[in-house]
Amino acid sequence: MIDFAPKKQFNFASMFGMTSTVSSILVVLSLIALFSNMKYGVDFSGGAEIQVKFNEKVPMGDIRKLMDREGLKGTQVQSIGEANENEVLLKLQGDETNLNQISEQVQQALAKNFSESGANIRKVDIVGPKAGSSLRLSGFQAMAWALIAIMIYIGLRFDFKYSPGAIIALFHDVSIILGIFAITGTEFTLQVVAALLAVIGYSVNDTVIVYDRVREHEQKLPEGKLSDHINLAVNETLSRTILTSGTTLFVSLSMFFFGGQAIRGFFFAITLGVIIGTYSSIFIAAPITLFFDRLKNKSA
Amino acid sequence: MKRSWWTRFIFLLLFTCLSIAAILPTIFDFNENNNNYFISSKINLGLDLQGGLYMVLGIDFKKVYKDEVATYAKKIVDLLGDYETKAEIGKLDLADPLDPKHTINLLDPNKLKQAVDQIKKSFPGLLRITGENAGEIQFALSNVLKTQIEEQSVTKSIEVIRNRIDEFGVTEPEIVSQGNDRIVVALPGVKDIEQAKSLIGKTAQLTFRVVNDNVGLGEINTWLTKAKEAGIEYKKGEKFSNYLDKLNSFLKDDLPKGFSLAFKKTLSRLNNSVENMEPFVLNNDVKLTGDLLQDAFTTFGQEGMPIVSLSFKTRGSKVFEELTGNNIGKRLAIVLDGNVYSAPSIRSRISGNAQIELGRGNTQQILKEARELAMVLRAGALPVQLDFLEQRTVGPSLGHDSIEKARLASIIGCALVFIFICFYYKISGFIALTTLALNVLFILAALVGLEATLTLPGIAGIALTIGMAVDANIIVYERIREEVRKGVGNYKAVENGFAQAFWTVLDANFTTAMAGICLINFGTGPIRGFAVTLLIGIAATVYTSYFVGKMLFELYMNKVEGEDLSI
Repeated sequence: MIDFAPKKQFNFASMFGMTSTVSSILVVLSLIALFSNMKYGVDFSGGAEIQVKFNEKVPMGDIRKLMDREGLKGTQVQSIGEANENEVLLKLQGDETNLNQISEQVQQALAKNFSESGANIRKVDIVGPKAGSSLRLSGFQAMAWALIAIMIYIGLRFDFKYSPGAIIALFHDVSIILGIFAITGTEFTLQVVAALLAVIGYSVNDTVIVYDRVREHEQKLPEGKLSDHINLAVNETLSRTILTSGTTLFVSLSMFFFGGQAIRGFFFAITLGVIIGTYSSIFIAAPITLFFDRLKNKSA
Repeated sequence: MKRSWWTRFIFLLLFTCLSIAAILPTIFDFNENNNNYFISSKINLGLDLQGGLYMVLGIDFKKVYKDEVATYAKKIVDLLGDYETKAEIGKLDLADPLDPKHTINLLDPNKLKQAVDQIKKSFPGLLRITGENAGEIQFALSNVLKTQIEEQSVTKSIEVIRNRIDEFGVTEPEIVSQGNDRIVVALPGVKDIEQAKSLIGKTAQLTFRVVNDNVGLGEINTWLTKAKEAGIEYKKGEKFSNYLDKLNSFLKDDLPKGFSLAFKKTLSRLNNSVENMEPFVLNNDVKLTGDLLQDAFTTFGQEGMPIVSLSFKTRGSKVFEELTGNNIGKRLAIVLDGNVYSAPSIRSRISGNAQIELGRGNTQQILKEARELAMVLRAGALPVQLDFLEQRTVGPSLGHDSIEKARLASIIGCALVFIFICFYYKISGFIALTTLALNVLFILAALVGLEATLTLPGIAGIALTIGMAVDANIIVYERIREEVRKGVGNYKAVENGFAQAFWTVLDANFTTAMAGICLINFGTGPIRGFAVTLLIGIAATVYTSYFVGKMLFELYMNKVEGEDLSI
């Protein structure tokens, strides 16, 4: 039997004070970053994105000059993907009526001026401001519904004393991931919302497994202390937690590195989510349950 | 082995064979029209993988409301006239374009109260009186009526767009409403995007053609069967006009000279696919076209039933008089973009305005039909003004590159997982590996069976499912290990391990499934693809990792009775 899990029993409960402080600071910093510095992708901010692939290397400066000549000074030009792929992303701003027209103009200008470099239009996304704001709204709604559904499920399956811990842990995960997106300047897109929902599912999964053990111990030994039950449960599930996170990380990291630029953002969020979600189910969900339990006992 | 084991094994075997059969066409790239194999469909690739066009169209209701409120003003004046209250149409107030108001001026201000009562009685729940003073009544459309109008505009627009898309030849078009003022159009595989866009926005061809009712439905059906036997049948993804041309040239000796077949298509409420096609034999000689039409609106006939009233331009009116005069007793088909919308009978020679009666019965139902017909007639273009809110186009080469990269990355990721599991759990690891392989097989087969679409995030979803599916195996194995450490015998350890892990595995997957369901409701094309594969993956995981895993363990236990478990 190969066993990665340490034989020693950790006293996780003693670390809860420190981890909750660190996490609170991280969440606050993330929220500040999220509201001040988040880069929204075209899905949410509205605008147009044109992805072009050239057969040979084309200097960014040439494309920028062309955009200036076309009277589109605000156009962002950036190279994406691997360097040898010669792919460029152009970002245009405008409203519903002229976005269509501007992107037409850009496509024609590229075709005319870079005919020998073979400007191949790979993708055009045009999102009007109206559609952008409604996508933003429905994205947040989907996340809110997921949280509510999970809270009710945990309440019914276990006990409502467990719900706040799971939800606060999820809130913690999502805000730190978003904070890291904001700080690293990674774009927040529709795909990232999908990834966050997958992370929510994954992270609550971890939490549920710990809770399941806690409940088992509570039933076996009802007079025992909840903190001891939690400590034992976390220790017992530790090897499973490490193994599962490990296998999921194998997949998410290989997709992140080799899966191509189109799903890199998605797997960036998943990778962060697996790490933070694993941490939070041990160090956040459990102490919060403990906290609410103490609060209940005090008032009782 | 126990009998129950064999039952489960046979079930698994059956399931596996079926799944393999389902994905064979995809793997070996069978020809779509090769009917020798019993499963003809391959995995549907999403827009982001095969290229194509995705659009969200927003409907502008302002003009629709304006037309509607003006129509009601006319109706009210007529109505009051019937009760000897002389009234005139007043001014239209467009201060709030989404809630236009119209004024009616009474010539005798003393009849104000009586007139208001009359309006309320005649249009219950449809109109709101927004102001009344000294001989002026101002009214607006009620929310109920507005909702009705919105629903109908959306349905009609979808129908018109659907007909045009059929003209374009797309295999799996998706045209659905989103909310109450949006239409999503997804056209995977479309190459000429500019043409597709202009096709959706173009003006429709409206024509009036006389129906030949001498040919019975039975006879038409014999022709259609004959054509079908000769291989002329409408196939998904074919241009509808191509089909009509082929059909008509095939049947040219059967059809009366100078006539051809056309259809009235009914769309299914579920997914807007063509559900029913009612055939008509129409005269090829088109005398009257939509450009000769002045206006069309719903009003009420003599018995209070809703009718559609048409008025023609000067020249149109002459043509129409001649057309109706020569064809009394026959039906006149109203044809938009080559599709029959309605075919009312001609009762008499009509000079001036024409009225189309839609029969008697449920007033609401008929009013709805009348409004739809008026829309089609007035349309020329789409029934309502559409704005392009969102447009996404993907070239085919991008999708191809994405598939290649995502496939490679998935294989690397899954291989790492497989190697690790075998190394860590030894023989039990091979059991896990078998369940994972079956998991992938079942997910792919389910995609074929459910005719779901595989998108790039969908591939990500499958890879992710494998990473997470191992979890179910790990939960069980770690439990078994605990039992083994306690010194419980092998049989007991495995039995306890599976029994104790059952609810944990189910809970863990259920929570992920809930996130997936929330995502389905939110998602647009590719994202929905992710949610769908995630959900299918969860179902497959519970079955393979838990149930199949348990089965294989029982087999393994049987073989190594008494020895140490390799876990």
